[in-house]
Amino acid sequence: MLKNILWLVLVVLFFISPFMGAVDLSLEQILKHNSMNATIFYDLRLPRVLFAFFAGTILSLSGLLFQTLFRNALMTPYTLGISSGAVLGAGIAIKLGLSTLVFGIGAISIFGFFGALLTVFLLIYLAQFIRSSGEEALLLLGIALSLFYTSVLMVVFYLGSAIQNDMLIRFTMGSLSVIGWKYPIGVAVVGILLALFIYRYKFELQLLSISQDQAKLKGVDTKRVTLILLVVSSLAIGVLVSISGPIGFVGLIVPHIIQKLYPSNVSRRIIKTALFGGLFLVACDTLSRTLQTQSELPIGIITAIIGGPFFIYLIISNAKK
Amino acid sequence: MIKLHKLSVRFGKKKVLQNLSFEIEGHLTIVGANGSGKSTLAKCLAGLNSYSGTIEIQNINAAKIPAKERAKLLCYIPTKLEVYDAFITVEEFVLLGRFPHKESLFDYSQKDREIVRTMMEFLKITHLAKQQIGELSSGEQQLTLIAQALTQQSKIIIFDEPTANLDPKNSKIIAQHIKELQKSHTVILITHDLHLAAFIGSQILFLDDTTAALYGDEFFDDDVLERLYGVAFHALAVKYA
Repeated sequence: MLKNILWLVLVVLFFISPFMGAVDLSLEQILKHNSMNATIFYDLRLPRVLFAFFAGTILSLSGLLFQTLFRNALMTPYTLGISSGAVLGAGIAIKLGLSTLVFGIGAISIFGFFGALLTVFLLIYLAQFIRSSGEEALLLLGIALSLFYTSVLMVVFYLGSAIQNDMLIRFTMGSLSVIGWKYPIGVAVVGILLALFIYRYKFELQLLSISQDQAKLKGVDTKRVTLILLVVSSLAIGVLVSISGPIGFVGLIVPHIIQKLYPSNVSRRIIKTALFGGLFLVACDTLSRTLQTQSELPIGIITAIIGGPFFIYLIISNAKK
Repeated sequence: MIKLHKLSVRFGKKKVLQNLSFEIEGHLTIVGANGSGKSTLAKCLAGLNSYSGTIEIQNINAAKIPAKERAKLLCYIPTKLEVYDAFITVEEFVLLGRFPHKESLFDYSQKDREIVRTMMEFLKITHLAKQQIGELSSGEQQLTLIAQALTQQSKIIIFDEPTANLDPKNSKIIAQHIKELQKSHTVILITHDLHLAAFIGSQILFLDDTTAALYGDEFFDDDVLERLYGVAFHALAVKYA
């Protein structure tokens, strides 16, 4: 019952979300062609809702994947420093004043993308030295990388001009605001591909979610499968974060809520996590657009305000086990 | 059937197994003191541990067998199931035994499900089908693991201390199943339980820090046991019969 109400609320929010924001719109207004309100609706609000939905999908699925592969509830691309890598990459591009487009994609996005990707390979490389210390050590490694990136970013800030720093600060807060359909459609394609990819490996994930040994014993090439899934989801995260900036905690919260609502094996939770993640971020985004009338709150701040306490709750409830 | 040549395993500086070489045909029971490397040996056979030297299974170098083929050949049952995601149901867990045989990428076949049903009926755990694996007792867990192993249809089954966590009643049930399985499978049993070893009645491999020796029935002689274990024994009764 509670489950159904929750889904219902999120779905209703999803449909009314494009009508809400700094300017409230009505059905009548958006049907008038070439009006200002119609432009806001079709070129700003709808693409934004689509973008938010698939951003939520990518973040939640990556969270579920990382938690399953490492068998640790605190593992996400965000806690492992992959998002921070993207932010640093983007920050460097902003500082260097790069604004050229490559295949229609901004240099800032490209730098962000490679920042995320390099971090994944760095983590994989470093992980081989700490194999015997288990998953917690990897988490610490991710946190150490995050802190390191943040300090490098501080240097970039220190050297930057006021205009550059303003761009940079906005980027680090995360934003789902997009103009037009190019980025939303790109992110939607990436999100759907990621979901299909994870679905393809659902039985391997089922085994890996029990234990590494179980997977090996049943004939899963654990090293290869883990590497493929990590790289693919990091690519997706890289694409997303390079456009939106870091949006924390979604990958941590959503898989956990779904696990609580549907305590079933991991392969049964893939689609639910993807859908719920999408709807959840649309809801957060609607909140960010409506809490304040003057301007909008950055989405990263909303998710962090919800996610911070949740993170603490997770650590405590894990310790109780 | 299984041939070991100069098998050595190290954990850091500690040598766990040293230059172990032997050949076995048929069933085997591995006994020995704590830390003598019994489980390590089993994990090497199962492909869970790295080692130096060679292991041949049915005249093929085990290191060269692809993971899925190895799973069809050999199955390892741990003492206790370590699970991270404990929400998987018993039925789903047993079905995972079909993973190496699965032909479709997206689902198991009707035949796979049929095998699962048969094996669960055989082990009398059908009533547990919808229970989550994290909720099982040790005895139920061991039966579930055996059901999964049978579903896997591999020729060789390795039991790693199957009765270590069980009460006498469940130990007896498991012991009888193992004895029964010897008719259709090659069983490699690792145990501290000498009653179980005697009941199963396979060839014995005794491992300690320095040696590995094969024994037949003469192993259960009180004097032999006293010499090997360093404590006095009085006529081992076969309690599982």
